[in-house]
Amino acid sequence: MTRADGVPALAADRVGKRYRHVWGLRDCTFAVPAGSVVGLVGPNGAGKTTLLAMTVGLLAPTEGHVSVFGETARAHTASTLARVSYLAQDHPLYRGFTVAEMLHLGRSMNPSWDQALAQSRVEALGIPLHRKVKSLSGGQQAQVSLTMALAKRAPLLALDEPVASLDPIARLDFMRDVLAASADTGLTVIIASHVISELERLCDWLLVLNGGRLQLGGAVDDLLSGHALLTVPRHTPDAQLPGKTISRMDSDRHSTVLLAVDPARLAAALSCQPGWQAEPVGFEQLVLAYLRRPPLGVPTANHALADGASHAGKAVTS
Amino acid sequence: MIWVTWRQHRTQAIVCVGLFCLIAVFAVVTGAWMRSTFNADGLGTCLARTGGAGCPALISSFVRKFTGPVMMPVTIMLFAVPGFLGAAVGGPLLGQELERGTWRLAWSQTVPRTKWLVTQLTLVTGGLVVFGAAVTAVMTWSRAPLDQLSIRLQPPPFNFEGLSLTCSLLCAFGLGVLAGLLLRNTIGAMAAAYFAWEVPFLLVTLLTGPLNILSATERIPCRDGCAGASTNSVPPVTGHLGDLVLNVTRSGNELVVSYLPDSRFWTLQLIAGGLFLAIAAAALGTAVWLLHRRTT
Repeated sequence: MTRADGVPALAADRVGKRYRHVWGLRDCTFAVPAGSVVGLVGPNGAGKTTLLAMTVGLLAPTEGHVSVFGETARAHTASTLARVSYLAQDHPLYRGFTVAEMLHLGRSMNPSWDQALAQSRVEALGIPLHRKVKSLSGGQQAQVSLTMALAKRAPLLALDEPVASLDPIARLDFMRDVLAASADTGLTVIIASHVISELERLCDWLLVLNGGRLQLGGAVDDLLSGHALLTVPRHTPDAQLPGKTISRMDSDRHSTVLLAVDPARLAAALSCQPGWQAEPVGFEQLVLAYLRRPPLGVPTANHALADGASHAGKAVTS
Repeated sequence: MIWVTWRQHRTQAIVCVGLFCLIAVFAVVTGAWMRSTFNADGLGTCLARTGGAGCPALISSFVRKFTGPVMMPVTIMLFAVPGFLGAAVGGPLLGQELERGTWRLAWSQTVPRTKWLVTQLTLVTGGLVVFGAAVTAVMTWSRAPLDQLSIRLQPPPFNFEGLSLTCSLLCAFGLGVLAGLLLRNTIGAMAAAYFAWEVPFLLVTLLTGPLNILSATERIPCRDGCAGASTNSVPPVTGHLGDLVLNVTRSGNELVVSYLPDSRFWTLQLIAGGLFLAIAAAALGTAVWLLHRRTT
């Protein structure tokens, strides 16, 4: 597998997945550079699991294609499977197996398996190798699953709700392990989660899904600098603002607008509008604002991407 | 993958070995008893000298003794074993993976799912063939004296001698695998496979009974005025102990006998086995073919 500079670790090109009559994911396009830690955020049914399952070839897209390190992810091929370590939601394991047997399974099904890593990680976590999976706590099961995904030693690690069943301490440790693996080996990680505050600490890339559409995607720094909280006199129409309104709260005299805006344009606008005040936007605030908007793809919805450019209509007609 | 398959089917393998031991103990005990009775009654000598015509009473009592309550438990068990066991092994193979969500673990390792399925099917089929062949062998050995004196063209023992048992086991297994993929539920798959398996099983039972496509007709000149000639005569009116006489009518000085010759046992086994195997192959082939469509 090549990891030449500039080849995205994970890219989606107009990806869609239809389940019978319903689109679970539609018109999803992005490219994530290698070495990123990507947060994938969205409510239940937003298409997060669908997207992650497509990276490892568990699902095939109905339209478009997903590529991992420049090669199209194809369902049922060993090369696609070898490029991605996948931790499924609810961390499925064989309940009757012992922990050692789960690791044996990993070893016999993955040529690149790192048994030393798997064993030392499980032992460090204090999980007895001879215990049956069904007798472990939910958190321990999640740790065994993560261990299996890490020991597969694939260059992309896709985690679907990995911390949902962990207590707060275990969550922190878990996230720390993921970050350490990413830093040590240049692993690219994509994590689907509801817990926005935890992603904030972890991620340098963000994908926000809602209603099967990509609402927002980009490097976290770019996204934060490309948005601002602007306080303007009330009744200032959206059309007068220098960017795209993502959310707006009106109080008695002022309106607070979360704006997708180019920093230079914002600075220019501020210099000639003395009544306006701009503040940087927080990670969680930004994510929530995009999640609260009606999902794109509903015909009346605004369509704004991180750079503030208007793509209105494109998503609707595709 | 070989280890994974073994580990996932270890319990089933142990149950099969246990079941085989149970059957084998029963078969060896009854087989030894049958042989001692056979020798004590002098049946071997009678058969060699007269082909059974000289000792009908002895033959009748021997057959009655060893087809009655003594053989009942294992005979009844062997009627259900292929269907139950095949369905119980086949149903969970995909059904449980899909029901419990472990397919997302199994098929996201570096083994493509088609290879995963084909490996599992090959190894489990191999195990079932060994089990079926072993049960058939001990039962056939056990019943050897009885088979010399009675008819093996009807179940029992048609369903557990020759190819029948192994092939019908594979048939239920194949149906179980396919049902598991379609229903995504272990218990449902096992039940569906068992009931679906009843169709070819009943068909085979009919083949050896009312649908006797292989029967022959013979005209036999009467001796002693044809008195007492019937389908139940011992030995049969055809003179050969294994023949299954279906119908006897008298026409002038001849008997018109419609019967299934014992020599056609293997032809009939091939037809039954072929039917079961064809269904098994179709079900397994469909499962492999559908795997992509149903799970992506």
